[in-house]
Amino acid sequence: MKLIVRQGLDKVFTVLTGTAVVVLSLVLLVILGPMIVKGTSAVLFHGTVEFRRMQQALFNRGSQGQLAAEVAETKAARQKVYDLIDAFKQGIDTESLKDQAGRIHRQFGQELQDKGIQGEQYTALRSISRDIRTRLEQAFDSRDPNGIQQDLAYVLGFADDPRFRGTAAEGFFRIARQFQKAAGRVDVARRGQYATALAEVEGIVAELLGPRPGSPMPPLVRQQYGATRWEQAQAILHRFSFTEQWVEDQPGRPLIRREVRRREQFAGTDLEPLFDYVPGHLSEMLRPSLTIYWQFLIDDSVESHTFGGVGPELLGTLAITLLGMLFVVPLGVISAAYLVEQAGDNWAVRTIRMCINTLAGVPSIVFGLFGLAFFVLTLLPALGLEPKACVLAASLTLAVLTLPVMIRSSEEAIRAVPQTYKEGAFALGASPFRTFVTVTLPAALPGILTGVILSLSRIAGETAPVLFTGAVAMGRVPHSALEPTRTLSYGSYDMAVGDRIAMMFPHNQYGMVVTLVVLILALNGLAIVLRTRVFKRLKGH
Amino acid sequence: MDIRRPTPVRAERRPSVPETPQEASCPCSIIRSEGFSLYYGAKAGVKDVTMEIYPCRVTAIIGPSGCGKSTFLRSINRMNDLIPHVRTEGRLMLDGHDVCDKRTNLVSLRQQAGMVFQKPNPFPKSIFDNVAYGPRLQGVRKGSDLQQIVEQGLRAAALWDEVKDDLSKSALALSGGQQQRLCIARALATKPRVLLMDEPCSALDPIATRRIEDLMEQLKTEYTIVIVTHNMQQAARVSEWTAFFCLGELIEYDRTDKIFSNPAHKQTEDYITGRFG
Repeated sequence: MKLIVRQGLDKVFTVLTGTAVVVLSLVLLVILGPMIVKGTSAVLFHGTVEFRRMQQALFNRGSQGQLAAEVAETKAARQKVYDLIDAFKQGIDTESLKDQAGRIHRQFGQELQDKGIQGEQYTALRSISRDIRTRLEQAFDSRDPNGIQQDLAYVLGFADDPRFRGTAAEGFFRIARQFQKAAGRVDVARRGQYATALAEVEGIVAELLGPRPGSPMPPLVRQQYGATRWEQAQAILHRFSFTEQWVEDQPGRPLIRREVRRREQFAGTDLEPLFDYVPGHLSEMLRPSLTIYWQFLIDDSVESHTFGGVGPELLGTLAITLLGMLFVVPLGVISAAYLVEQAGDNWAVRTIRMCINTLAGVPSIVFGLFGLAFFVLTLLPALGLEPKACVLAASLTLAVLTLPVMIRSSEEAIRAVPQTYKEGAFALGASPFRTFVTVTLPAALPGILTGVILSLSRIAGETAPVLFTGAVAMGRVPHSALEPTRTLSYGSYDMAVGDRIAMMFPHNQYGMVVTLVVLILALNGLAIVLRTRVFKRLKGH
Repeated sequence: MDIRRPTPVRAERRPSVPETPQEASCPCSIIRSEGFSLYYGAKAGVKDVTMEIYPCRVTAIIGPSGCGKSTFLRSINRMNDLIPHVRTEGRLMLDGHDVCDKRTNLVSLRQQAGMVFQKPNPFPKSIFDNVAYGPRLQGVRKGSDLQQIVEQGLRAAALWDEVKDDLSKSALALSGGQQQRLCIARALATKPRVLLMDEPCSALDPIATRRIEDLMEQLKTEYTIVIVTHNMQQAARVSEWTAFFCLGELIEYDRTDKIFSNPAHKQTEDYITGRFG
């Protein structure tokens, strides 16, 4: 081959390799980038006053006085929203007006008794009151504008009657006048539609701003607060401004979804200004500010990851990982030492080697089932313990899972130690065991640490083996190795497949995944630093 | 018995006499091989060697590759035990004790007969830990004692002045020649009677070789040195006695000047003059 051809080929290979590396990193970036960005938003985001309220109430963080002042400031901006809704409601919400009329009627009767009015006069006044109530109810229920006006005119005919002056019955006339005004503006024929649409608007406003002041506190924590995050508020605002409708595009074709401005539903009503007010004053009402919520890593979660963080998951993962390493590292190194130093080359040893190689390729779910059958259902009862999933069983299962990897890498590392080191130790009179412990093992340490790194990532990240042996989606931080725990891997899985509530909070979902990735990277980083230091010490640089 | 007759091939095996303390402390020889043979399975590595090695002398073993000289050397401190299916015949006495005896305490045997290998093989530990390895095996724990032993060892191996400032440095950071002297220091730290050197200079440059040879010159006042070498000039330079091995057999064993000036055997002469080997 000519030199120039060879050089050319060399260049081509260099370019190809470089391209491959760049493409790989880009793919990695494309896949991991968005995930990391979304996961980071669990910690770094624009938190609203609702977030600070939640933090104060659930975790007792932040200054109480400052928060109270902030809430007071937002209150003024929010009041306008409630006022607009109330004004509109009066023409719509006839049920509450009916209740009001009934209450006034009873109150009026009580007043008459208190004044000592009895006999015919009492009966007459009661009957007029009953009559007024009936006519009002009729008006509230009616969809005929003329009928309503007639009923209201009848009621208001008693307004100048001196017998009712200064009594509770004046309430009748007040609501009658209000309703007269409201009914004049609202298309009473569409009152039912308005009522439904208004209920929806009120629901969205509650999501955005939290429960209305003065209303009873909802039992679910996630309903006790409005939008805690600014981007969440933006999403809710979109739902506030637009409504989805399924419309027929072409006859006979499936319906298609279309977004319609919600204000069109309320065109011409008292509520229309709300659709300008809310978008314009949203930041006044929620006061977003940049928040670093590092406590995400230590906080317990509230109501399936609605609020809070991944503290128990992080702790559980660390516990299972470290306990698993405690089992797998000594076991792996001892097995490898036996295979290299002691075992000869007979069919038994060859079978063991083959088994190890095969085990390294067994799917992890199989190990999970093995762990369930052996550790949970057999070993624990045999030790007189309750056969239930627990940290111990999970870490044992994971240890078994990674044992082949650990043995293989330790074996390679021990085999790679030069025979001359061993000879040197033997020549000084050291026993084989002593030689292994004092010379071979330290020299093999960097290679063994490589196995540790591989096992560590596997143990911390595996989901299937802990599924049956030690992980739960809910529950407290384990107090002993005999209790189940939450883990990051299983938590991510659970949130992805099972938990619809959690899916409403994707930042927490991504946050958990990224926490897992970062945890594994950090553990690996630690092991790599350790390996480098050991290596440097051995090489004497 | 200063001068032995040139050992004939298949020398008559001497009647084995029970050892007495008087004989064991006999100044004439420290290592005595009596009809010693070593087999790898069925193949003989060393065949029926009978010779004596004298204290405070440098004895060189020369011969072509595969002639069994290293095997013989390694038999003295039983390093061949590591190889499976090894079997020995005859006797190999160190200080009057048969090293091939199953009851021989390997630890004390190997401390009696220190070994230096072809390739410098310091442990991947600090210089201090390397030299202190043997004494620690013997049970020396006290820091000040170890300090003293390490210093003595390094001084004896003429390495002290070069490394005294940084004993915690990794041994692998030293140069090849320094590493080999460190290995010598490591072997000396167990206070052996015999120093077995298996081609100690073959991986070193001429200057490092020179230093090792000077060192051997100093060491032979206190230690018995057995050196296996391919380098005949080296054997002529450093040794008082030279044994010539060929195909597992001891062909000739005599004073070095005699071997190199007037060998009794044709084979020896051919080897020395380069016509064979």
